[in-house]
Amino acid sequence: MSDLSRNGFLKLVRGGFLWLSAALGLGGLLRFLNYDPNPAPQSEFDLGPATNFPLGTRTGIADGQFVLIHDELGLRAINTTCTHLGCQTAPGPDGFTCPCHGSHFDLRGDVLQGPAAKALNVPSVELNDGGHLILHD
Amino acid sequence: MNYLMNKLITFAAGFLLLSLALAWWLDARQPLAVEMIPSLSGQPEYCLTCHADLSEISSSHPVEVFGCVSCHGGERLALDADLAHSTMRGGANPSDLSVVESSCGGSNCHSGSEAEGRDHIQRVMTSIQSTYAGAIASIRYTFGAQLDLNPIFGIKPIIDAQTRTGITALGAFDPASESHPSIQQFGENCLTCHLNADPLEGSAYARQTGCAACHSTAGHTFTTAIPYTQCNTCHNRGNYDLRTMNFVERGDQPVKRIDDYYQPIAQFTQCEYTLDCVDCHTRKEAMGDGDIHANQKDIEYVQCKTCHGTPTEAPLTKTLTDPDELAFRLALLNPVVDLQIGDTILISEQGEPFWNVRHLPDGSFEMVGKVTRQYFTFRPVMESGCTQSGEDQSSAYCHGCHAVE
Repeated sequence: MSDLSRNGFLKLVRGGFLWLSAALGLGGLLRFLNYDPNPAPQSEFDLGPATNFPLGTRTGIADGQFVLIHDELGLRAINTTCTHLGCQTAPGPDGFTCPCHGSHFDLRGDVLQGPAAKALNVPSVELNDGGHLILHD
Repeated sequence: MNYLMNKLITFAAGFLLLSLALAWWLDARQPLAVEMIPSLSGQPEYCLTCHADLSEISSSHPVEVFGCVSCHGGERLALDADLAHSTMRGGANPSDLSVVESSCGGSNCHSGSEAEGRDHIQRVMTSIQSTYAGAIASIRYTFGAQLDLNPIFGIKPIIDAQTRTGITALGAFDPASESHPSIQQFGENCLTCHLNADPLEGSAYARQTGCAACHSTAGHTFTTAIPYTQCNTCHNRGNYDLRTMNFVERGDQPVKRIDDYYQPIAQFTQCEYTLDCVDCHTRKEAMGDGDIHANQKDIEYVQCKTCHGTPTEAPLTKTLTDPDELAFRLALLNPVVDLQIGDTILISEQGEPFWNVRHLPDGSFEMVGKVTRQYFTFRPVMESGCTQSGEDQSSAYCHGCHAVE
């Protein structure tokens, strides 16, 4: 084998090594840059057509994180996360009960019994142009 | 020269590729990270990558709310075990009293208001189970190191500026600075039963430190249904020999509770060996009332008459009218009774609720065991033929007629 062909072979191998290294390095870099250690929680939810929530309904949203209530007081959403330490309250006929430490809230989210001191959060709900209800937490 | 340089560069490129491939391979060998974002912190944790098999600590501490780091500390994003555990509080026990304020404290948790009874940490820190002040004072007095039984030292220094007992502070007991050898030996051999201390070796003494000493009876769980066997990891295990200043372990095995578990020199009534300690002894007695006390006797106030009354006085009761009552909170933590507004329950002289003892319409009382969930009914002494003086109500008098042979 001549020196020239040897050099050509080495050049070919070297090129292969470098391209593969670049691919691996770039893959790692993209993976690193795409990683978000503190992803922002979803804050906007499309609940679908408003006609899906007639008077007298109570509908759990986002795995029960919110309840959309449509009663004589109107249409409103309540964030069911307890304001004491963040447990998910359980809806009942008269309000919400925290299974962790026993706080009670009425159907408006106001505190009936501690230890929670603050009312449940009430996110805004609006009707978009397409007739869908949009919940903003 | 050109060929040699080419070889060298090719070798370097190969080495670079090999290094990168090795890095990918090592990364691929890492366990697939299991992310959890507890609602309390809102920050991702990867602890469940390795610890998914752990049971939930209690229904009041759901993992999706608290996560692990809020209580345990540690590096929440680390997948390497050593790094993840490097900054944990209290090792595997964040309730150890040296770190409990960081782990379990906070105004929304266990350093809450005294008025609402949520000052658990402050109460435990000043409690006799933590300070061991009575035993220390007794031994120092016995061997002439202090003039009376008033406590001067505790296991750790503690201040109680708003004391109701007159004891405002305790210094740290340092056996090495004591001159009497018996007190030094006491320090070496006899300080294993307070909440700061690791227990003696052996399964009979097996408990953790801090809050977990009482509330963790098995594995990664906390409970308020504390069985008497947990209390007995410190109590009823033996006696101290004052001559040798050594702990003398009991030789008998706990098989039959009345015969073998309790100190054989004492007398007991049926309820004392049938119920669990927490059925009668209140949280203030066990966890303290926020004040520094001189000895165990000063904080133990529940007597037979607390539940049974005297020939002339009925036991104290209270009808529940407020859903914010402490009784409801305690019943929620250990739901052995379905307590309702309007129920009348027994209370102690200090107003502590016996939320598991209800007054029935026929005048009797019904107790539900906090651990066993067994039902017991009893009638007050007032309606019985008991002629014991209302003034003489210590247990020794009741044992005179009611002790089990």
